Amino acid sequence: MLKIAIYGKGGIGKSTVTANLAAAFAKSGKKVIQIGCDPKADSTINLMGGKSILPVMNFIRDNDREPETPEEIAHTGYGGILCIETGGPTPGLGCAGRGIITTFSLLEDLKLFETFQPDVVLYDVLGDVVCGGFAAPIRENYASHILIVTSGEKMALYAARNIHAAVQNFADRAYAKVFGLVMNRRNVENEEEKVRTFAEEEKLRIVSEIPRSNDITRCEDKGMTVIEGAPESEAAQRFAELAETLWKECNP
Amino acid sequence: MKNCAKILSIYASDTAGVCSMLYELGGMTIVHDASGCNSTYATHDEPRWYSKPAMVYISALTEMDVIMGNDAKLLEDAARAAKELHPRFIALCGSPMPCMTGVDFPALAAELEAETGIPVLGLQTNGIGSYITGAGKALKMYLERFARLDVQKNPRLSVNLLGATPLDFSGSRQIGAIKEVIRQSGFELQSCMAMDSSPEELRDCGKAHVNLVLSASGLPAATYLKETFGIPFAAGVPYGEKFAEKLFRDLRKSAEDGQDRISCADRPAPEKEKCLAIIGESIGAASLAAASEESAKIFVPQALGPIFLQEQDSVFADEDEIEILSGKAGAILADPMYQPVIPAGTVFHALPHEAFSGRCYREMIPVLTGKNRESGVQLC
Repeated sequence: MLKIAIYGKGGIGKSTVTANLAAAFAKSGKKVIQIGCDPKADSTINLMGGKSILPVMNFIRDNDREPETPEEIAHTGYGGILCIETGGPTPGLGCAGRGIITTFSLLEDLKLFETFQPDVVLYDVLGDVVCGGFAAPIRENYASHILIVTSGEKMALYAARNIHAAVQNFADRAYAKVFGLVMNRRNVENEEEKVRTFAEEEKLRIVSEIPRSNDITRCEDKGMTVIEGAPESEAAQRFAELAETLWKECNP
Repeated sequence: MKNCAKILSIYASDTAGVCSMLYELGGMTIVHDASGCNSTYATHDEPRWYSKPAMVYISALTEMDVIMGNDAKLLEDAARAAKELHPRFIALCGSPMPCMTGVDFPALAAELEAETGIPVLGLQTNGIGSYITGAGKALKMYLERFARLDVQKNPRLSVNLLGATPLDFSGSRQIGAIKEVIRQSGFELQSCMAMDSSPEELRDCGKAHVNLVLSASGLPAATYLKETFGIPFAAGVPYGEKFAEKLFRDLRKSAEDGQDRISCADRPAPEKEKCLAIIGESIGAASLAAASEESAKIFVPQALGPIFLQEQDSVFADEDEIEILSGKAGAILADPMYQPVIPAGTVFHALPHEAFSGRCYREMIPVLTGKNRESGVQLC
C-alpha cells in the first residue's frame, strides 16, 4: 500500500495536487483513499463534482456520537476514490490537531484500510506542521513518504523549509521521509531558479513541475480535476507522470 | 443524563492498568503526567505500594512542556533515572494531556531505547480508557518483547495464569488461593501474570500447555500466546468448588485438543428475570454467576469492554441504565459504591472491587476460592 502525505504553504495548491494525484491513480486502476486533514474540509471537493462532504468532526458534532461504519463518513467520488475529510472544530475554538488524531484513531477502529484494501492512500495536510496533530499523518504506519508543494514565491519556500526542518526533527523516529518537492508554478520571476536553488540547499529532489494552467482553474470551476476534465492537458500529463513515479519508487 | 455519572465512581484508568500489570516485573514505569499524580495510578488502588518496592514514576509534566511539545525533557529525565536505577526495562505511558497533544509514545520509546540500550515499551494510554485495556496492552507488549521463543514444553501439565492484577483480585490472598487450588488439581504453575511471579517465570511462559484467563486483561496476551506458541486457553476464575472443578476439566481438555474454552460463559439461563445480578468485569462476574448457588446473570459496564456475554446478561453505559436494570433484578451483588443507585426495593450484597472503589473497602474483600473460602457470596 502506497501512503503519501502532501504538505505545503496554505493556498499553494496542495488539494489540487492531491486530488489530481488521486484521480491519476484511480484512472490507472488503483483503489484510492484521499483523506483531507484540514479544518476547511475542501480537499476532496473536486473529486465529488464540486460538492462538499460531511467531515468526520461535523458528523460527531451533529450526531453526538462517533460513526459506527466507514460508510457514515467515507464518500465515493471520481474513479471510485474514497473521500474523507477530518474537518475541525468551530473556528476559533477547540483543537484542530486533536481532531486529526481523533479521526485517525477512529479510522483504525472502523478498520477502514482492512475493509477497503486501498492501493494508495493520500493525506492532504494543513499548511504547516504546527503541532503534534499535524504530524500525525507522517507517523509510523501512516504515510511513508512526503511531498512538499511549493512555488517560487518567498513565503511558499519559507514554509517548505519549515516543513522539511520539522520532518528532519523526527529523523530518529520511524516517520515518513520527504520524497521530494512538487513545483506548482505561479509564474513568478526566476521561479525555476529559485526553487532549484532551494532544492539544492535542502538536498531535495524536484519530483514534478506543474505548469500554471487555465485548464486547472476551468476544471475546478466545474468541480473536477484536470485528470477528469482535461485529460489531454499538459497539467494532467504531469500529474499522471508523478503518480507513476510515486508508484514505482515509493510503493513498498 | 447520557454517559454521565452523578453518583457512581469510575473504574481505574488504562494508565493505572499498565502500572498495575507491570508493577512486579522489575521495570521502571513512567507516566507522562503532572507532578503529584502518582497516587492516582499506583497508590489508591495498589495494595502492594506499601509492601513491595516498584519503580513507578510521574514525569512532572508542566504547562510549558505541553505547549512546547517538550518530548526531549521526558527522554532526558527517563535516561538519567534509568542510569541510576538500572531497571530491567522502561515503560512509557500517557495520561489525558499527552493524549490531547498527540504525544507519540511508541516513537519516544524507540528513541529512548536507542539512547539507553534498555528495552522500552511505548504504551499509547490516555488515562481515559479502562484498566482492562491498559493492563491488557501492557502484558501483551511485555510478552512480545520478553517471552522466550526457544523453550521446551514442561514435562508436567503446566499452566499460566493471565490477567491477574490487584485491580481485580486485590491483595495476594485471593491470588494465593487460586494458585493453591490449581496446584491441588494437579497442574504445575508456570507463571502468574502478573502477581507473585518472577520475570523469569513470565519469560519462560511458552513452557506451559494451557493458559487460564482470569480477567479480560489477560485476553490480548492469551491471543498472542496462542498465535506464537499454540497455547490454548480457558477463561474463568475458579470460584467455589463445582465451577472450579469444571474449569479445571476444561483446562485439561484444552491442553489436550488445543481448543479455547470460555468456561465462564457456560451457564444456564435463569428461569426468571428477577434473579441475582452480578455487576463487574466480564470474566470475574460470569465466573461468580456460574459458581453461584442461585441462578444468576451479569451486568457489565460498557467501559470495561464486555466479552463472553450470554443472552441473559446485559451491558450498561451509565448510571441511569444500571438503575433501570437493577430494578428488574431480584438482587444485586456489586461493589458497595453501586448501592446508592440501586432501587430501594432491590436486595443488595456488597462485594468490593478494587478497580472501582480502590482501597475504601479492601479489608472486606473475601477469598472466594478453595475450601477455606470466606463468607460473603453463596457459592456451590
